[in-house]
Amino acid sequence: MQLTSARSRIPNSRYAVVLIAAAAVSIVLIVASQLGVRDGTKTASTATATSTSKAHAPSLFSGIPQQGTALGSANAPFTLVEYADLQCPYCARWSRDALPTVVANYVKTGKLRIVFNGMDFVGPDSRTALQTAIAAGREHHLWDVVHGLYAAQGTENTGWVTDELVSQIAAGVPGLDGSKLLAARSASWVESEVTRASAAAEAAGVHSTPSFQLGPTGGPFHIVRVDSLGPEGIAPAIDSALAG
Amino acid sequence: MSERAIRFTSATLATAGAAIACYLLYVRSTGGTLACVTGGCDTVQHSSYSELLGVPVAALGLAGFLGLLGAALVRGEVARLTQATLALAGFFFGVYLLYVQLLVIDAICQWCVASDLLTTAIAALALLRLRAGAVAAPLPPAPSRPYPQRRPNGSRGPSRKQRQQARTR
Repeated sequence: MQLTSARSRIPNSRYAVVLIAAAAVSIVLIVASQLGVRDGTKTASTATATSTSKAHAPSLFSGIPQQGTALGSANAPFTLVEYADLQCPYCARWSRDALPTVVANYVKTGKLRIVFNGMDFVGPDSRTALQTAIAAGREHHLWDVVHGLYAAQGTENTGWVTDELVSQIAAGVPGLDGSKLLAARSASWVESEVTRASAAAEAAGVHSTPSFQLGPTGGPFHIVRVDSLGPEGIAPAIDSALAG
Repeated sequence: MSERAIRFTSATLATAGAAIACYLLYVRSTGGTLACVTGGCDTVQHSSYSELLGVPVAALGLAGFLGLLGAALVRGEVARLTQATLALAGFFFGVYLLYVQLLVIDAICQWCVASDLLTTAIAALALLRLRAGAVAAPLPPAPSRPYPQRRPNGSRGPSRKQRQQARTR
């Protein structure tokens, strides 16, 4: 009787040790995951406050023509098409790390034009953000709004694309009326543009973001693979195209 | 199921899990598109939950499956405990990631689900292995019988009077 109870006690203690250790490891992983997501949200809200406080400061796109979804001169010899979801954190990273250099080196110099092709596959906030960006495009401020939304990017589908946020971003863009922008989001032409952008991505075979196509302005375009989200990821392809 | 069979099956499943993690890391590094029938793979892989403090979750998964493979190949109690701990931790974290996919991101990645199923199977096998190891381990020594022991003929040994007589001789 004593031997039987001793035998059953030993495995039970081993199971308990394993269970406690496994629970401890998984709790550490889950907390780290949540901290990472919250850090992203915190950074985003800090960025929103910063962008709001810098209202009417010279933007990244000052002096560069914006026409609908395009940024840069219509006479630029080459066009880069960016396929992006405004909720995609990698797209935000590319916008923060690579876009300023690309704009300074290629767009401002008239060598390149960038076209934004939005996608909304991450969820409802993607669609709201994309509708906002397209509505801003009619006012020739799509790129300002896209940059502002990336800077304020929150956790996926938490309802972070609020009217207040859109108004804050619009307040930082000279010439953009926030209330007009909010009203235009629900227009039928905006919905048509969202559908067209989605179809264009499908036709290009783009299923992940950010993805890029490059080619002579007017086409044809080919998909460009980027190895990193910094300027060094896209610059070789642009240089190669410009070199002919 | 013998411990040998459990170890072999666990090693096979861990290899499959490591292969999935390698595929996810490869597609991530090349910027390609994941093969996907559920339609949500890229959404999940591009979400903020796909990294853990800057480290891709797929890289953590690869490290975990390689650890499980190593623990399955090695004999002994430490390997049994390591395999069970790693597999159960992976199972719990997999449940959390499944919750995130279903209720936060609202998209399902088939590769993540396949990885979760493999982890669950390895966790079940690891618990079986732990049990098999406990049964095979030697029992603790039997407790010694208390003194005085009754002699085979039923007597209790010399009486006090007999012992005193022996001392005075």
